[in-house]
Amino acid sequence: MLSAFLSAFRTPDLRKKLLFTVGIIAIYRLGATLPSPGVSYGNVQKCMDLMATNNAGGVFNLLNLFSGGALLSLSVFALGIMPYITASIILQLLTVVIPRLEQLRKEGQAGQAKITQYTRYLTLGLGVLQASAFVALARSGQLFNNMCDQFPIVPDGTGIPTWVTLVALVITMTAGTGVVMWLGELITDRGVGNGMSVLIFTSIMARLPSEGWQIKISQGWWKFFLVIALVLLIIFFVVFIEQAQRRIPVQYAKRMIGRRMYGGTSTYIPLKVNQAGVIPVIFGSSLLYLPALLLQFYDRNNLNGWQSWIQNNLVDPTSYIYITLYFLLIIFFTYFYVSITFNPTEVADNMKKYGGFVPGIRPGKPTAEYLDYILSRITLPGALYLGVISILPSFFFIWLDRQQYMNFPFGGTAVLIMVGVGLETVKQIESQLMQRNYEGFLR
Amino acid sequence: MGVMQRLKNRTQRFLQRPGTTVDLAPLQKVLPEIEALEDEFKELDDAALTERAAEATRVAEIAALGREAARRALDERPYDVQLLGVLAMLGGSVAEMATGEGKTLTAAIAAYGHVRSGNGPVHVLTVNDYLARRDAEWMEPVYKLLGLSVGWVTESSSPEERRAAYACDVTYASVSEAGFDYLRDQLVTDIDDRVQRAPATAIVDEADSILIDEARVPMVLAGAVAGEQDPVHVAAGVVRGLRSGRHYEIADDGRSVAFTTKGLEVVERKLGGIDLYDDEHVEQLSAVNVALHAHALLHRDVDYIVRNGAVELVDEMRGRVAQRRRWPDGLQAAVEAKEGLDATAEGEVLGTITVQAYIALYPTVCGMTATAVLVGEQLREYFKLEVAVIPPNTPCIRVDEADRIYATRQEKEDALVAEITLSHEKGRPVLVGTLDVKESESLAKALDEAGIPCSVLNAKNDDEEAAIIAEAGKFGAVTVSTQMAGRGVDIRLGGSDQSDRERVAELGGLYVLGGGRHHSRRVDDQLRGRAGRQGDPGASTFFVSLEDDLIQRNAPDAIPASPRMNFDGLVTDEQVDYAVEHAQRVSEGVQHEIHRNTWRYSVVIEQQRKALSERRERVLTTDVAAEMLEKREPEKAEELKELDEDLLPRVARSIALFHIDRLWAEHLAELSEVREGVHLRALGRLDPLDEFHRAAVPAFNALVPAIEERTVETFEENEFDENWTPDDNTLVRPSATWTYLVHDNPFGSELDRLIAAVGRRLSSGGNN
Repeated sequence: MLSAFLSAFRTPDLRKKLLFTVGIIAIYRLGATLPSPGVSYGNVQKCMDLMATNNAGGVFNLLNLFSGGALLSLSVFALGIMPYITASIILQLLTVVIPRLEQLRKEGQAGQAKITQYTRYLTLGLGVLQASAFVALARSGQLFNNMCDQFPIVPDGTGIPTWVTLVALVITMTAGTGVVMWLGELITDRGVGNGMSVLIFTSIMARLPSEGWQIKISQGWWKFFLVIALVLLIIFFVVFIEQAQRRIPVQYAKRMIGRRMYGGTSTYIPLKVNQAGVIPVIFGSSLLYLPALLLQFYDRNNLNGWQSWIQNNLVDPTSYIYITLYFLLIIFFTYFYVSITFNPTEVADNMKKYGGFVPGIRPGKPTAEYLDYILSRITLPGALYLGVISILPSFFFIWLDRQQYMNFPFGGTAVLIMVGVGLETVKQIESQLMQRNYEGFLR
Repeated sequence: MGVMQRLKNRTQRFLQRPGTTVDLAPLQKVLPEIEALEDEFKELDDAALTERAAEATRVAEIAALGREAARRALDERPYDVQLLGVLAMLGGSVAEMATGEGKTLTAAIAAYGHVRSGNGPVHVLTVNDYLARRDAEWMEPVYKLLGLSVGWVTESSSPEERRAAYACDVTYASVSEAGFDYLRDQLVTDIDDRVQRAPATAIVDEADSILIDEARVPMVLAGAVAGEQDPVHVAAGVVRGLRSGRHYEIADDGRSVAFTTKGLEVVERKLGGIDLYDDEHVEQLSAVNVALHAHALLHRDVDYIVRNGAVELVDEMRGRVAQRRRWPDGLQAAVEAKEGLDATAEGEVLGTITVQAYIALYPTVCGMTATAVLVGEQLREYFKLEVAVIPPNTPCIRVDEADRIYATRQEKEDALVAEITLSHEKGRPVLVGTLDVKESESLAKALDEAGIPCSVLNAKNDDEEAAIIAEAGKFGAVTVSTQMAGRGVDIRLGGSDQSDRERVAELGGLYVLGGGRHHSRRVDDQLRGRAGRQGDPGASTFFVSLEDDLIQRNAPDAIPASPRMNFDGLVTDEQVDYAVEHAQRVSEGVQHEIHRNTWRYSVVIEQQRKALSERRERVLTTDVAAEMLEKREPEKAEELKELDEDLLPRVARSIALFHIDRLWAEHLAELSEVREGVHLRALGRLDPLDEFHRAAVPAFNALVPAIEERTVETFEENEFDENWTPDDNTLVRPSATWTYLVHDNPFGSELDRLIAAVGRRLSSGGNN
């Protein structure tokens, strides 16, 4: 992998792409640390410290993780790439409902360009909504669970009317969303990797040093190094499993007359052990956020019976009920997601349509059944693997006796995302590298 | 161009917005200078003009000399707009010029200009042999005055004629002929056998057709392999009685077909109760698959015609017979078997290059066509070419009517016949463009029944094309044609002698009727462009039916269930108007997507081809192969040297070249195999294109050692003496093919699949 990067840097146009990507990332990080106008940077820092010392995991932790810590400090890029992702998903969903959109999609590139344009408008719309919501939350103190009400993030009494400050904040953050969206598209077009993924990757990576240092401060060097070692081990394991696949050979019978056969070695369906990717983990953890959200409506220090039961068993990531439930949810979602995204019947039909078949198996239904058989068996280790990776952080919490690492960047979701994006990007670089290696080829 | 318009154009260009064209203002500034030179050049006698032409360097001089030469040789003084076209083409753009504006002459002057600017030799690439020869012979006097030699190449040219033609300053050839010559040159075993010089400048006639529509067509040089003829005919017999729906299913897009379980049973029973999917019956399986494809998807008189005992392909874009084009992978033989003809030998691909990659070999490219703006984006993306819109000399006054849409094909044909009758009674000439050969014949029959005499022009009688078209503008003429009448032909009002010109013009000029919308708007526009030439009056109307393939395939769900219509079946519903436009846009989008995909996959193959041809060149022109053998097999090499000093290099070169070509052919076969199934990788969240590279690159890297190994092996195993000649590995006549195209990711992205699943659930929930 390292050698891939090194030789990529020796290829002029790839070097240009890599440097371009790094440049965009730098701009993105700059915007993520730049406070919006009207935000008291000093108070933000104080609140962060307060949160850290009080072991308080806020509801917005996951969002904060994806925005690289920009959200809680209400920086220019506070909303990050999430509105863009949300808008893309919404428009995809709308194509099912609105025939005109579906027709546009069918018109190929020109129609797709229009849909992209709509996505951009929707992103800005969502940006305004979310920016207003977070500004309101920050004003009322709920963004920090009302823990640092004595340090208002958007202080009054600056001589500027409050509404002007608030409007400026919303406009700034919305504009920031637009810029982030543009940065992402620039990476996809002119840099390496998928822009959205790379930006999320960056955000998570950006949290590593500070969170790591927190461990050092609270636990000392010994545990710090142990955590690092464990995390490296996990990453190694994740990379290993992510690459694992079962190859089902496929032959195309249309064109083999008068030509020697290649034994079907090059044509196959790769079924990954982790065919579902990171989605089941995100689904599972989102579902487990619901109880925590529910408790937001009640006074933390004065919970009644069922409320404290929820607090102790469903919100606390160190409780065994929480861990078991999380694990089971992930297994369920893995099967669910794989069954949706890999439709054996559809794949079998497609193969049949173009004259392909699995050697020894008849096309159509028998092929679909065969694929289904293999798939359901390979999904089990995949599901178990996802489950184990996701509950590992909970054991960390128990061991470190702290709750604040709920979404800390060494956790399951983050590692899965980082490794996934990392692998994808390196593969893309490798592939581009291969294409360009002919200069000076064969002396 | 108004100030506002220019300002808008400039902003758009600055923003790199689509639809931008070359700014003509700087070019227009040159025109007075050209005018000023005119008198000076008029004074010169022919010899002095030729002498002066050899010295010209500035574009103004070039254009002025071209104008003077054309005036003397053809008695035609090129208009200012034609010179604008010359300037645009000298600047490396594609000039959009309407029909009848004199593109051929414009191209000739531009060719002269390119030679003078040191970009020679110039190849003028045309769409077919007929135009190559006609244009070259027509322009020869102009070139002669300008002191340039000109040559042309057609299919029947001998190698010597080709070499002589390519040695000229300007060479006219169809793009496929030039491409084949290039491929053949890549496989010569003696450097003196080459016919072409290094590519320098290409002037592309009908640029959108060649650069976009045909760009993805691979030109293939094939050699015969002994194929078994038998399974083809057996398979054709087996599938003959099968019926659609019951025994096989055709995909919605009409591009693929598959057996149903029932159909498979029937086939297996007819073949003697075998299991086709058993390893030992793979060959029969392939044979019945292609036989089914030939049976169900390829229709006589639509996709091909049978003429003189041979199957000839019809070019779907142009409606003409595609010269020397063949279907790949046994499909050609299957169609021949279907028609009860002898199957021709199966070819193995020896070398291939797409039209696009071939054009990319020319350092300088420019072109002209009547419809370029609509593909401006693609020209920029694939060839870095800009479009310059040259205004017509006299404004076009043709009236383009709105489409007339009918519910059924029959109603459309009836309406068409009625419309033709109406015009014919007045004597107004009518040109009807139909979608395929079959439709043109059925319309001709209907007209015959209505008592209207008409000339039919389609792929079956394309040799009479020039004669039929020349008279299409005559008083009272009715011409029915496939879209082949769309390009490269010029219809003059009043027939070839223009005797009735005034009478016809008074009736409103040529009336162009379209029998349906084509796959792309450009083809429609080309057909419309037959009328209204050089400011002539004219009109055009398209008759569309909702049963047309274009609409049925691309927008079946966009048509409202019960559209508003008149008693005669004429549909007057805005939603239907939209559906027709939508269908055409979908079709264009699909074409573009296929083009882009083919291109993305061909990039790596093209690089490999270049790298290997570099190596081949070295083996061909130097003694590297002999040196290699001397190192690997010193004793045997020494023996040969003692026999004859020249023998070793000769033997080594022949063997090495043979294995380079052999292994390259195998490599190509392997890559096409990978290409066909690589879309399945998307199921494992892998990028098919990346995966293709991952397979193609190591395979290529293994090629060079393998060539060396095999060369050494052959050298070891055989005996050589002074009289040794290369093995008889003769190459057969080259043939072109088109390819099957498989969508890159038919399953869509993971998100697409998720959404689709949600959609399915929603809609099934709604039904319950």
